[in-house]
Amino acid sequence: MNAARTRQGQKAIKGAIGIGLFFLAWQIGSSLSGVGSYFFPQPGDVFRAFVELWHKGILEAYLLDSLGRYFAGVGLGLLVGLIAALCLGLNKFIARMFTPLVSFFYAIVESAWLPIFVIWFGYGITTILTLLVYVVAFPILYNTLAGIRAFPPTYINAAKSLGGSRLQIITNVILPGLLPNIITGFRVGAGFAFRGLIIAEAIAATSGIGFLIFDGAANQQTDRTIVGMIVMGVLWLVIELFYLKPFEKATIHRWGLVVSAEGRET
Amino acid sequence: MSDGMPKIKVRDLKVSYVHAATGQRHLALDNMTLDIREGEFLVVVGPSGCGKSTLLSTIAGFISPQSGVLEMNERPIAGPGSDRGVVFQDYALLPWKTVVDNVALGLKFKGVSKTERTKTAKEFLALAGLAEAAEKYPHELSGGMRQRAAVARTLANAPEVILMDEPFAAVDAQTRMTLQEELVRIWGQSKSTVFFVTHSVEEAIFLGDRVVVLQEGPGPVKAELSVDIDRSLRVWPDLNQNGRFQQLREEITALVRKTTVAA
Repeated sequence: MNAARTRQGQKAIKGAIGIGLFFLAWQIGSSLSGVGSYFFPQPGDVFRAFVELWHKGILEAYLLDSLGRYFAGVGLGLLVGLIAALCLGLNKFIARMFTPLVSFFYAIVESAWLPIFVIWFGYGITTILTLLVYVVAFPILYNTLAGIRAFPPTYINAAKSLGGSRLQIITNVILPGLLPNIITGFRVGAGFAFRGLIIAEAIAATSGIGFLIFDGAANQQTDRTIVGMIVMGVLWLVIELFYLKPFEKATIHRWGLVVSAEGRET
Repeated sequence: MSDGMPKIKVRDLKVSYVHAATGQRHLALDNMTLDIREGEFLVVVGPSGCGKSTLLSTIAGFISPQSGVLEMNERPIAGPGSDRGVVFQDYALLPWKTVVDNVALGLKFKGVSKTERTKTAKEFLALAGLAEAAEKYPHELSGGMRQRAAVARTLANAPEVILMDEPFAAVDAQTRMTLQEELVRIWGQSKSTVFFVTHSVEEAIFLGDRVVVLQEGPGPVKAELSVDIDRSLRVWPDLNQNGRFQQLREEITALVRKTTVAA
């Protein structure tokens, strides 16, 4: 365990070095470029904008708005995607029938839907949530259906021979067995939703990180735009490190259902 | 034939299924007639493609027969059920459950409380020599240990008949012999009825009270033989020197081979 912790520490250090190099390159690049801070703000400008936004309470309020929209949208989308997958996937015929349609909608990106959602639902939370549910639900539906089509029949046969009822087999066998697919879909969907949120807030909201990014640029406060971009990146890192990774580690890695990039987890 | 009703009765069974890859209908069993007697260890041996696994899947209820009689305790078999436990060649342990939870799964389905079913599962794990592995996940075990766990899972559910589909085919020869010896020991304690499918003639003689030889392609049973070797003499590797074993091996091998050539 100690060795594992050391390895974790080394990974963190390497990651920090990467981030440090990025800021260094940014500083050097903006100093050497000789253009104005409106065009290419330096790290210091952005840091001052960050402090100012935080001090005025704007950043905190926007952050909370964005996170609220994001988690509500992703949670709803997960629910919708799972329920749809179970409804369509319980029957192989229906699963086959809907798969091309699901692939079709999966391919229509969120920004393409935004204009029509605005026409239907106007500017505001309904449009944003609809967009997020859409981008989360389809990858989950798509991947879960693929998992159902390829589900090993012996697991189900084994459970039937042990006396499992239909409901018991769904909860004990099918749902956990589909978890790798659900997680894959969720990862894709959660990533799409993050981009979708920024676009949606730029167009259909008057607060949030997406609004900050676009509003900053429109008002020649480029440093604010970059603050929004950095917050966006940090947020994703936090979500990935503290939610997605630990969940995957406790489930599909623990069960030996995936081989991680560094080899099999033990 | 023994006195009393057979545990499982198969009469003129015909089974065909649509091949998933080619989409063509494939006749797997035809004119199959067979009795499985209460408490016996029956081994079915035959070349690949003889329908022995299909027969097992049909008895398990995974496949519906096209025509013929298939009964257990004089009642038609309509689908899978916990009265017939199955041990699969690829173990079919659920990767997301620990070994002990896998073994307790049948009892969980029956509504047995968590403490009670864990206790029972641990007893069967101990019987299978797996007490140490209870809290591990299946992917952390060797092939032989996984198959022990799969056998323990089936036994813990106390089925009337145990159906075993080439369960030791995927493990190495040494482990295989150990597993055969352990299976006989454990079966001796439970005295349930076993229907065991294999392509290994040696395995069939080592394990079986009776050996049934199937022919290649659909058709009736080729031969039925009683293994009249005392169980106390069935120990590896000594059994190889046993004259009766050698005789039976020669006879059954010839039967299996003849069916192959004839087809």
